Amino acid sequence: MKTEWTLKILWGSLLLAGLAFPLVASAMEMEDCLGCHSEIDVVGEALLVDAVKFEHTVHAELGCATCHSSVTDEHPDDGAAVSRADCLDCHQEVGDQYMQTAHAENATCGDCHDPHQAHGLDAVSASDMNEQCSQCHENAAVVEQHSEWLPQASLHIAKLPCITCHTSSEEYKIVLHISQKQEDRALSGYEISKYEDLKVYSGAKEIKGLIDINKDNFISLAELRTFNLNPAYKALHLDGTLFPSEASHDLTTLDNRYDCSFCHASGPGSMQTSFLALPTPDGSFARIDVEEGAVLDALYGTPNFYMTGSTRSASLNIIGFIIICCGFIMPIGHGTLRFLTRKNRKH
Amino acid sequence: MAEKKKIYLQPTPVRIWHWINAFGIITLTVSGAQIRFPEYITFLGSYKSAIYLHNTAGFVVAISFSLWFFYYMFVSRTMANLYVPKAADLKTGLVRQAKFYFLTYFLGWENPHHPTPENKFNPMQKSVYLGVMFVMMPLVSLSGIFLTNVDPLRELIVMVGGLKLLAGLHFLLACCLIAFIPTHVYLATLGHTPMEHIKTMWSGWEDEETEEAGTQENKDELASRRAA
Ligand code: HEC
Ligand code: HEC
Ligand code: HEC
Ligand code: HEC
Ligand code: HEC
Ligand code: HEC
Ligand code: HEC
Repeated sequence: MKTEWTLKILWGSLLLAGLAFPLVASAMEMEDCLGCHSEIDVVGEALLVDAVKFEHTVHAELGCATCHSSVTDEHPDDGAAVSRADCLDCHQEVGDQYMQTAHAENATCGDCHDPHQAHGLDAVSASDMNEQCSQCHENAAVVEQHSEWLPQASLHIAKLPCITCHTSSEEYKIVLHISQKQEDRALSGYEISKYEDLKVYSGAKEIKGLIDINKDNFISLAELRTFNLNPAYKALHLDGTLFPSEASHDLTTLDNRYDCSFCHASGPGSMQTSFLALPTPDGSFARIDVEEGAVLDALYGTPNFYMTGSTRSASLNIIGFIIICCGFIMPIGHGTLRFLTRKNRKH
Repeated sequence: MAEKKKIYLQPTPVRIWHWINAFGIITLTVSGAQIRFPEYITFLGSYKSAIYLHNTAGFVVAISFSLWFFYYMFVSRTMANLYVPKAADLKTGLVRQAKFYFLTYFLGWENPHHPTPENKFNPMQKSVYLGVMFVMMPLVSLSGIFLTNVDPLRELIVMVGGLKLLAGLHFLLACCLIAFIPTHVYLATLGHTPMEHIKTMWSGWEDEETEEAGTQENKDELASRRAA
């Protein structure tokens, strides 16, 4: 929260400064820049900026020239190199944190982030984030390294964002996604549905309506059940994962990830709140609140999200307890009678 | 007074199997409890060690179960005979045995069933073991194998109704098997002396009293042997 405010103030003052003393030598607007830079035939692939994706990021509010301040009206004919802002100018706090890590020597901000498609933690999926890492950390190698101590490493690596473990964040958030079967793969062929995939199901309507039936921006347990039981959505299912509650950039790996307790021993108490992340047309995700306790529902809340230890259902515990108690009826009841009638068996 | 005779009731492979199973199931119970209730139960140190122990014990029990199945089915070929209740068992045997356990036992009567290597289990034991060994053990092992291979088997898991259903089934079946333990151990103390049957499971030999006790079941059996 504090970071956010600092950034907002910083950004506000930058805009003010921009109005009072044009830092920029160019009068070109964002639309002008995009007029050329979103057309592959004009600028070529290397200089392409995806306009739809860019326009939905907070960076779009800054305008192109804030970060490319040396651009002139004669661009590109002047042949002059265009400057690029340094992320650290505006993101000092993250920068301070990241630059102290050993990893700063291995990857720069730009290796993981595209400044024209920068999103916050709540607007990306686990696989989006892991794609950033897999440019350098090849997936098969990561699975192999982790399987030395992590059972079912391929499940964990496929499901979890790397930064859920490689972060100093002390808490997590449960995020649900809609996934679907990929026709071209035989086994474990589920992937998070994209906007266009879900549009096939919702037709002309908003995709949110697939699951948020009364469109109140809140997903109740009843709506989850309806979604899970709907035969028309047989190829879709709800996947669950854990996000860190904040994106720290220190890449510290705490012990509670190594001994599994962070996730599997955190108890049902911390599994109450969850969110559903639905894809948006610009390729990011928007979160919707889900009713408390949904992932703990015995059967229909999230039939395909289960973490041993944490998502156990209280009603099954009670049934199990009763079953075990029944096992003692015979010894106790029979044993008592046996004791009382012991004389009969003395031959 | 009946004359004491010893019979070799439990062959070595069966005894080894029985005790592997016993220790395996206890280990699975304790580690399983920690896996499900990690905030309350921490006998085995870290969560990780509980999972590793549970997986190992699970595979040991599943393999020993398969060996047992193989042994009775193909080596000693007595599986059907020992474990599947016969028509007579169902018609009269069950009632007779239940009457003994819940009534005549208290009056000091003899057990109507006399175990022999070919007919080790009484009709009640047969029915219960049939459920335990042919339904619950295979299902709990199979669901356990699925739970240790979630990623590769995800599609099958989704098809059977989801990971949660599978884990719930595994848990409830395990509870049923656990519930069977106190009953099983208690019934094992109902021999002529409390330790009689338990010693047999260790040594293989059981004291048996010869025929003049003349129970109905033994007469049936003698008759059928003569006929054969
Ligand atoms: C938040 C700051 C920021 C904003 C806003 C921004 N850029 Fe950039 N841009 C950068 C940075 C930093 C780089 C250098 C990226 C690198 O080297 O990987 C860059 C690189 C580029 C490049 C070179 C090709 C590339 O992708 O590396 C082009 C072209 C470009 N920007 C165009 C634009 C246009 C057009 C806009 C407005 C629609 C814009 N930028 C808005 C920061 C920004
Ligand atoms: C008329 C089309 C056009 C417009 C409008 C335009 N550009 Fe460019 N831009 C180009 C072309 C063509 C190049 C490649 C020039 C070259 O290779 O010398 C380029 C190159 C760039 C580069 C990379 C140059 C380098 O030095 O690496 C950046 C950054 C850039 N433009 C940003 C912008 C920004 C910001 C705007 C808006 C203020 C903008 N451009 C407007 C066509 C355009
Ligand atoms: C001119 C200032 C400026 C520069 C330079 C800049 N940013 Fe930002 N960035 C912002 C502001 C302002 C926000 C919005 C802050 C907020 O709401 O938390 C932001 C937000 C972000 C976000 C989160 C987006 C979201 O939706 O929450 C990311 C990721 C990000 N920036 C990455 C970068 C990277 C990487 C660079 C360098 C390539 C960079 N930024 C350069 C000003 C800048
Ligand atoms: C090793 C990869 C990596 C590097 C290097 C990296 N980041 Fe990030 N950063 C991430 C990931 C993963 C997220 C989560 C959200 C996302 O993927 O957009 C994130 C999120 C952010 C956010 C949004 C935080 C929020 O609360 O939503 C900002 C701002 C940001 N990074 C800035 C930076 C800056 C500035 C640098 C360089 C000093 C940098 N990052 C370097 C991986 C990286
Ligand atoms: C541009 C390449 C690059 C990217 C992108 C990248 N890394 Fe790395 N990372 C490296 C290199 C190189 C090393 C050092 C060699 C090694 O240990 O593999 C490293 C080491 C690590 C280490 C172990 C050493 C340490 O610092 O503790 C972790 C953990 C790690 N990276 C996590 C991540 C995560 C998580 C992401 C994605 C959010 C990511 N990396 C993205 C290049 C990269
Ligand atoms: C379940 C938590 C978890 C997840 C998810 C996870 N890691 Fe790790 N990772 C760890 C732990 C714990 C270690 C330290 C292991 C050790 O000390 O031997 C580690 C070690 C590493 C190392 C250093 C390996 C070495 O031997 O030096 C790298 C690199 C790494 N992780 C990258 C990644 C990447 C990339 C991802 C995502 C694709 C990822 N991790 C996902 C927990 C995790
Ligand atoms: C960052 C959180 C996290 C950590 C740390 C973690 N896990 Fe998991 N674990 C998960 C998630 C998420 C799943 C998959 C749930 C799903 O797909 O429904 C999972 C699944 C499993 C499963 C498969 C059965 C099941 O519950 O679905 C086992 C077994 C397991 N983890 C064991 C471990 C062990 C052992 C460790 C420590 C060595 C560990 N996990 C560490 C999050 C974690």
